[in-house]
Amino acid sequence: MIVDAHVHLGSSLFGYGQSADEILSKMDRLGIEGAVLVPVKPRDYHLGPMNELVADCVAQHSDRFMGLCRVDPWQREAAVEEVHRGFVELGACGLYVDPWEENFQANDDLVSPLVEEARNHERPVVINAGHVRVSHPMQIWDLARRFPEVQFVACNGGQINICGILLSETRRMLEACANVVIETAGTYREDFLEEIVTEVGEERVFFASGSPVYDQEFEMARVQLAHLNDSQKGKIWGLNSQAVFGKLASIG
Amino acid sequence: MIIDSHTHVDRFGWYDPPETILRLMDEAGIDQSIIMTYGDAPDVEGSIEYIAEAVQKYPERLIGYARINPARGGEAHRLFRKAMEEYGLMGLKLHPVGSLCHPADPETLDMIRLASRYRAPVLFHCGDEELTLPLQVAQAAEACPEATIILGHMGGYFHWRDAIRAGQRYPNVFLDTSAIPYPQAIEEAVKHLGSRRVLYASDGPGCDPSIEIHKVRMAGLTAEDEAAVFHRNIQAILDRVSVAGEE
Repeated sequence: MIVDAHVHLGSSLFGYGQSADEILSKMDRLGIEGAVLVPVKPRDYHLGPMNELVADCVAQHSDRFMGLCRVDPWQREAAVEEVHRGFVELGACGLYVDPWEENFQANDDLVSPLVEEARNHERPVVINAGHVRVSHPMQIWDLARRFPEVQFVACNGGQINICGILLSETRRMLEACANVVIETAGTYREDFLEEIVTEVGEERVFFASGSPVYDQEFEMARVQLAHLNDSQKGKIWGLNSQAVFGKLASIG
Repeated sequence: MIIDSHTHVDRFGWYDPPETILRLMDEAGIDQSIIMTYGDAPDVEGSIEYIAEAVQKYPERLIGYARINPARGGEAHRLFRKAMEEYGLMGLKLHPVGSLCHPADPETLDMIRLASRYRAPVLFHCGDEELTLPLQVAQAAEACPEATIILGHMGGYFHWRDAIRAGQRYPNVFLDTSAIPYPQAIEEAVKHLGSRRVLYASDGPGCDPSIEIHKVRMAGLTAEDEAAVFHRNIQAILDRVSVAGEE
């Protein structure tokens, strides 16, 4: 069972995008059974309708999709209300915040009420992590230690640095914060993923492509060609993400 | 035939003996790899000798570059001459994050000019970090038009378009495909620069050479262009190197 735990839906302000039909077509071609949809930030900047679009697609294809609710922390109280709506009315399986595209620091006080809302509903918080100045590993660490009962998901393997200078810090963050897992998408160095799985924990990594920002087919190769056993790969392909987000309707 | 233009071996920090990259080369079907350390000589004692020993041990499979800190002036120059003339290494690796030398600093340009006297390529770490950005490395390419300048990682996650711009402006700039997560960036580089200016590289063993090959194959190049990227271009660069002595 392959679940892609991070697939963007919609046409983004930042030039990337894909429709639900395009997502399903690619999933079928690549043998991906389920996906967690993440709303893009649209050209009109309004995330609410994108959350509804995700919810509609999940309702139409509940055997293939789950969806996250996305908010901009700078909207303050309105953002908290949108998180509540996302969980209660739209059925979102988690909260997505994007410090890179919404321009805030991941551990800013602005984020705390949103995390508290996620905690109240026992939903995970997915963070577009690894971006210098807004969501580097220490900032994820700082947020995660303040909310130890909340499950956090750090995108991009927790670090985006082609120099590798944040690899050891990201590992220390994961060792210190049992409530953080990482996505595989875009991760620098496959041996880092292998190291985290074998030395930190098999449950701490799951497959996510970040499509279409990253190439879904290429991102699969990171898992397909990893020097890990079948049991470990099974956890990465879908078991670990289902433990965080819940199971698709098709699985029950 | 595949030559990997950018891999690592080292004894310190990230411990990667030559056998690690050789195992991955075998898995991926790679004939030869260019190796370099993670640390700068002479700051890391014996690092050039470590490369030389690996090349001597596996002469059919490994080709060596000397990674050097240009700020060390005369000592850096002496080491590079020794690397080329005594150890038979074939190029210079510069990593401005390690050395803190800007690509266009006088010390860096002096080092590049020394390498150029051997017609040896100069491989820069070229990513998203300050001091390594493509437009910064391009200043070195402009100042040293006789040099062969390779942008390792072709600008990283966020600056690959700048790497292509640098290639468009300066004919002595080449891009290596290692570690960036975008097959389409390779396609774009070949489209705008021609396949002759793009080099397959993995940044292994950290980045898996098999996955890095898969990425290049996903770029949808013609067989002719793939052959250029996988081995012909770097072979042509290496064929020009004169290790017998300065010209």
